[in-house]
Amino acid sequence: MDILEILMHPQNLDLAYFCLLGVLGSCLISFLPALHIYNVIGIFLLVILKYENAMEAMQLVALSTGMIVGYSILNTVPATYFGPGDESLSYYVLPSAQWVALGRGYESVILTGIGALTGMIVLALCAPIFIWILPGLKTITSPHMFWILGAVIAYMILSEWPKGIAQSKSNWANFFEGWGFLSVGIITFILSSLLGFIVMSKTMVPLGFAFQSITPVFVGLFALPWLITNIINVGIIPPQHEAKSLDLEWEVISKATFGGFLGGFYAAFIPIVTAGIGGLMAGHATAQRDTRVFIMSYGACKTVYYVGSFLLFFIPGLSLTRGGLAWIVTPFVTSLTLKEYAIFVGLMLFSTGVSFLLLTPFTKMCIRLVEIIDYHLLSVIAFFIVVPAVYAYTGGGGLAIMTVATGIGLLPVLFQARRMNLMAVLLFPVTVSMAGYGDTVLRFLGLL
Amino acid sequence: MKGLTHFISGIAVATFFPQAVHMASQEQSFIFCLGGIFGILPDTLDFKFARYFHTSDFEIKPDPDNLDAHQIASIVAQSLEKANASGRSSVQLHTMQLGANLWRSYTLGFDSKTSEVVVDIGPLVDTGQTPFMGTEPKEKASARVKVNCRFFQEFDKKSNIAIMSGPCFEFIRRGEGNVEIVFLPWHRTWSHSATLGILIALVVGVISYFTVPEGLHADMYAIPRWLLYPLIIFFGSLVHIIEDSTGFMGNNLFYPFTADRTKGLGFMSAAEAVPNFFFVWTSIICMLYNLDRFRWAPELTPAGIPNPESFFFWFYALPCAVMLYLFLRGKNQKEARKSVKAEGNESDFDGPTSVEKETDASII
Repeated sequence: MDILEILMHPQNLDLAYFCLLGVLGSCLISFLPALHIYNVIGIFLLVILKYENAMEAMQLVALSTGMIVGYSILNTVPATYFGPGDESLSYYVLPSAQWVALGRGYESVILTGIGALTGMIVLALCAPIFIWILPGLKTITSPHMFWILGAVIAYMILSEWPKGIAQSKSNWANFFEGWGFLSVGIITFILSSLLGFIVMSKTMVPLGFAFQSITPVFVGLFALPWLITNIINVGIIPPQHEAKSLDLEWEVISKATFGGFLGGFYAAFIPIVTAGIGGLMAGHATAQRDTRVFIMSYGACKTVYYVGSFLLFFIPGLSLTRGGLAWIVTPFVTSLTLKEYAIFVGLMLFSTGVSFLLLTPFTKMCIRLVEIIDYHLLSVIAFFIVVPAVYAYTGGGGLAIMTVATGIGLLPVLFQARRMNLMAVLLFPVTVSMAGYGDTVLRFLGLL
Repeated sequence: MKGLTHFISGIAVATFFPQAVHMASQEQSFIFCLGGIFGILPDTLDFKFARYFHTSDFEIKPDPDNLDAHQIASIVAQSLEKANASGRSSVQLHTMQLGANLWRSYTLGFDSKTSEVVVDIGPLVDTGQTPFMGTEPKEKASARVKVNCRFFQEFDKKSNIAIMSGPCFEFIRRGEGNVEIVFLPWHRTWSHSATLGILIALVVGVISYFTVPEGLHADMYAIPRWLLYPLIIFFGSLVHIIEDSTGFMGNNLFYPFTADRTKGLGFMSAAEAVPNFFFVWTSIICMLYNLDRFRWAPELTPAGIPNPESFFFWFYALPCAVMLYLFLRGKNQKEARKSVKAEGNESDFDGPTSVEKETDASII
């Protein structure tokens, strides 16, 4: 009842207003082509923080909650039709692109939305349990985080299987064909790791925008290769069918929610691990086979990852800061009690409901846009927005990093390797640094 | 089982060594990853190496411009009859790639009740195996070819041959006029043997004996540090073999002393969700418990699991009970479907173990 009292108290209704504002803002942000969520929110908050004196800490939290929940649910729409902005999205886009090609893009988006909705409900239900279990989990895993990340890297590399049709008479020719694909993945991993070490040791962007130093890397690795592919793609988006209803069994919903929640929570709890990696591992752990389950579980995974990492910040006594948004609000939130945690969970559910209601009109609007304007043209426009934006915020240095990153990002796209290997840009340098070998590697590379 | 299941089980096995836990937390050692890497190694060896060096007696490369189901079925039947005559034979089926993202699919089944090889040519599919409806061929799309021997196999399932590389079958004569069908004959043989695990552990043991110095507080441990490496490698690969043995395909445990794969225990199918998750969850619980009970300086650092009994009840016994319920429910549903088919005298091409016949290597 205490929680209800807190939520229904007129004093707290302003939080609902800011939360709603955040969700509506996320609609706009979701449409900004091919940019990583935290970079966009970072810039957005820079503008908002001019009104810092007029806003209380919890109002900022409400605004951020609305934005992160709205973004994590609504960004599926432009990602499906125009291309993904980060690794977490690119994991989903490949299967969803197949549905778009079959005229079922709308269905795919709604399935993802249902997954996000159920994922958030489970996250809210687990919120009280987290207070009980997470301190113990943190105590156990904290000294071991570096090798857990090392294990993630090892699995990412080892679990990529050879492709190719193996129809040559020569066994060796078949072997080299299969390993050609694997080699691209391994080369992508190595190059991304090197880029990560360079970016982390040598700041090439203006100091005033140091918080955006990773932006050109992500734009280059994930966003631009996708836009370039869209531009040179000869295919067309077929007419999209707007399904009136969805045929979903409870078994599919529960399987997808369970797998997605597992992956999202794993990604939220373990630093650097994204929803794409978490989703892959949870998908393997629960042996997912059905495409519907995959798409829905992706919705749950991505939302639980983005929002869950923010939720961890509010658990009283846990002191766990995960994800860019938690770091952004850290200076403004000084006390964290059960009250703030309960308010956050309430705001999270409120934003989820609003975002889900917005999903259908948002998707229909996107479909109209694709019907009216050629998506090649949209991709060209997006390209010419992104590149100058990166230059404006990060200067010539940022542009140089972006160009190199684009070259690396194109490798898996052109040679059908896993795009997940690009995440080595953060995974490998951070793992090595956490294990205490960072300086040794930097010295070896001549960067220190 | 899925690669992740083997990988995480290998890590879990490594956490049973207190010295390894201390090496990880106090010396930033990645020793646990060794367990994971060798846990997944048997499948890595098969799908990244062994498959490329297996040669078959017959190869089927269907012509996409002249589709003929009968022709495909006849070659498979020929291979079966050769095995019946000479003891062994194998056939490799290839896919039909029509474009960068376009393939022609077909299925192959073995109807043991009528001793017929069954081939159906299916629709065009994309690389995600999404079919393009209405693209099925109108003529010569289905064929049944009778063979002059009986045959049997562990799985009654049509193999769907659509994308990437196709499957391989080996036929082995077992008694007069009776042929066993072995799916993916290059899989789970030498790579999935205890012999290989022992051999690698021996080699690593010799190297580590001469190169790994004893660590600090050596008197705390029963096992010398150099021995940790071969033991983690051996148990990591052994747990893979044990997990695979719970399925249907089995392993060749003592290659080269044993010639063929032995049957699995048949408790569960390798690609089923619940068994995979059961092993993953068991591994996670073991890892957390071991990392906590073997933590460095337990008298100075608080326990993450203050009450192990309650931990095991809430986080292991209870989830296991739910998993058992779901597993048995799924099994009963499949049995019910199977009995309906049996009553109709149909071949059970969708048996409970069917998933093991995927041509997609990543799911096996």
